[in-house]
Amino acid sequence: MNDGAVHITDLVKTYTDDRGRPTFTAVKKINLEINNGEFMVLVGPSGCGKTTTLRMVAGLEKITSGTISIGDRVVNDLEPKDRGIAMVFQNYALYPHMSIFNNMAFGLQLAKKKKDFIQETVSRTSKALGLDHMLERKPQALSGGQRQRVALGRAIVRNPQVFLFDEPLSNLDAKMRVQMRSEISRLHGQLGNTMIYVTHDQVEAMTMGDRICVMKDGLIMQVADPLTLYRQPENLFVAGFIGSPPMNLLKGKVEKGDGGLVFKETANENAVTIPLKGPVETIAAKVVGKSIVFGIRPEHLTEESKNGSTAPVSSTIDIAEPMGSESLVYMRAGTGNLIARIHGEALYHMGQPITVYVNLDKVALFDAETESVIR
Amino acid sequence: MLPRQRLLLKKVIAHSVLIASCALILIPFAMVVLASFRKGNFPPSTLWLNPDQWTLDHWKYVLGIPYRELLNAATGETKLVNPTVAPMRWFLNSLVVSSIASFGIILLSGTAAYAFARMKFRFRSQILTGLLVLQMFPQILTLTAYYRILNYIGEHIPWLGLNTYAGLILIYLSGISINIWMIKGYFDTISPSMEDSARIDGASRFQAFIRILLPMSAPIFAVVFILSFISMISEYPTASVVLQESANRTLAVGAYSLLDEHEKLWGHFSALAVLSGVPITIMFLLCQRFIIGGLTSGGAKE
Repeated sequence: MNDGAVHITDLVKTYTDDRGRPTFTAVKKINLEINNGEFMVLVGPSGCGKTTTLRMVAGLEKITSGTISIGDRVVNDLEPKDRGIAMVFQNYALYPHMSIFNNMAFGLQLAKKKKDFIQETVSRTSKALGLDHMLERKPQALSGGQRQRVALGRAIVRNPQVFLFDEPLSNLDAKMRVQMRSEISRLHGQLGNTMIYVTHDQVEAMTMGDRICVMKDGLIMQVADPLTLYRQPENLFVAGFIGSPPMNLLKGKVEKGDGGLVFKETANENAVTIPLKGPVETIAAKVVGKSIVFGIRPEHLTEESKNGSTAPVSSTIDIAEPMGSESLVYMRAGTGNLIARIHGEALYHMGQPITVYVNLDKVALFDAETESVIR
Repeated sequence: MLPRQRLLLKKVIAHSVLIASCALILIPFAMVVLASFRKGNFPPSTLWLNPDQWTLDHWKYVLGIPYRELLNAATGETKLVNPTVAPMRWFLNSLVVSSIASFGIILLSGTAAYAFARMKFRFRSQILTGLLVLQMFPQILTLTAYYRILNYIGEHIPWLGLNTYAGLILIYLSGISINIWMIKGYFDTISPSMEDSARIDGASRFQAFIRILLPMSAPIFAVVFILSFISMISEYPTASVVLQESANRTLAVGAYSLLDEHEKLWGHFSALAVLSGVPITIMFLLCQRFIIGGLTSGGAKE
């Protein structure tokens, strides 16, 4: 069974005006392989082309060039209904004049399925989603979470190879969002279908995706499983986009110091200096004197020096945000703040001098010009 | 001034304005109604009838019921008037023409508006602006042209020429640009994701239009229908030029023909004018249940 695999090859989407003149290229020749049964998340800031890509897979947007195939079939010229897909929209897109039952049955009715079959399918699906007691109601009478569940049910009854989600949780309140997030994950576990999920929320991407495809300006920045994406970002964009609070990114240069190489931040005041040793020193040796970006995640700045591969950084505290079990400490640095996530319940104060230790094993260095990671 | 007095003064002023504007609407209407019940053919002029001035003759006339007319008040000589059925015929003519034309307008402007709202094609925005500019010229300016065109069509297709209802409806159907704008404006407020969703569910573009977009747009179609209907029931210039035979006339043209240069039958005219409000009122009540807010709510969240 490989029916639900989606292959996207050299996909381009250029929007045109009324006259057919090109106005804007939203997707710039991307390639993406989505395995059968995989939960693939497309994530990126607005305008990155993620929704356009999804709509092209759905067949709602014409493909400018390239191919999309689902299973073994190239679907470029197939109608949406013939692609074996179902889609859940950000704004639910329920039919307001129809009852919940008819909303879910609409596709089956159009496909001229038998009445008994429709009745059976809809009631089974609605029961599983806890909607069975509101089938006669109109969407207007439902809460946001219930409406999105109806949209989900409408997708499920189509029995598609591939589920497409276009920011389905963005319109829900925070609590509902968390609940629906786990419901969709559970659904994926039960059905085992391929799911392509578009979101701008990196927390959703990290918690739900088998793999995540990070997009920016119509290009794919990196495709990887959540932890790889978190630990080994390929470029500055991914490094800054994934993780909250974001990775600390300090602009500067690698210079030769007394005891070896050091990273020196390029700034007029508060510039930090970090001595380099271990594997990162080997990498840094390749870019001595060049403009680079030094990346370290907040949780890899600790108060204690550990097992040799740490380097001290001293600065003063700008702001401290105690969060109970941990504190986010914003330290002064030349280019913005250096944020440390420090465990423990100690209180920190503005202006207090502090020394933290950089876990050098977790450092990522980026070329400031190409923005890609240096290996 | 005490606050109480000030409040009272405000209330008095507000109510005076309201009563005055109500009077402005209701008094002419009352005058016409009274003229239709007044003995003799007097123009609407009074707000009071003495008991001996009342009569149902004008109403009998327009409804085609025979009645005796007083010829000479001194001798008491009367004559049996057996009215021709013309007024009722005009009434039906108007109903038929206005209903068919209103449905036609909805059909044409609805589909055109869909194209302007949802499709991409060359000169789309220019055509839309053009429609608006065209609408600024009164239709009456093109009346002679319509006359010639219908005359020409009539030579080849007799049932669509001058003196035919089809011809008149054809002309009425040409004045739809403002309706296209109104309906397009409404379509623009409906999220296209509904139709996207319908297409994924397997609906063709036409099915998505008919089964999803149209039911959701009932309010605007009701408004367009009722506005077209009212304007056509009371339309005079075009109908008077196209329909020249007495029995063919629409209500507005027929009513005006009662105000002949030599004999102005104000009483008959008033009764007919009041009668013409009946279909409009009925149509309005029928359409009103569609003109409700919130029909599209709950489907999409913006």
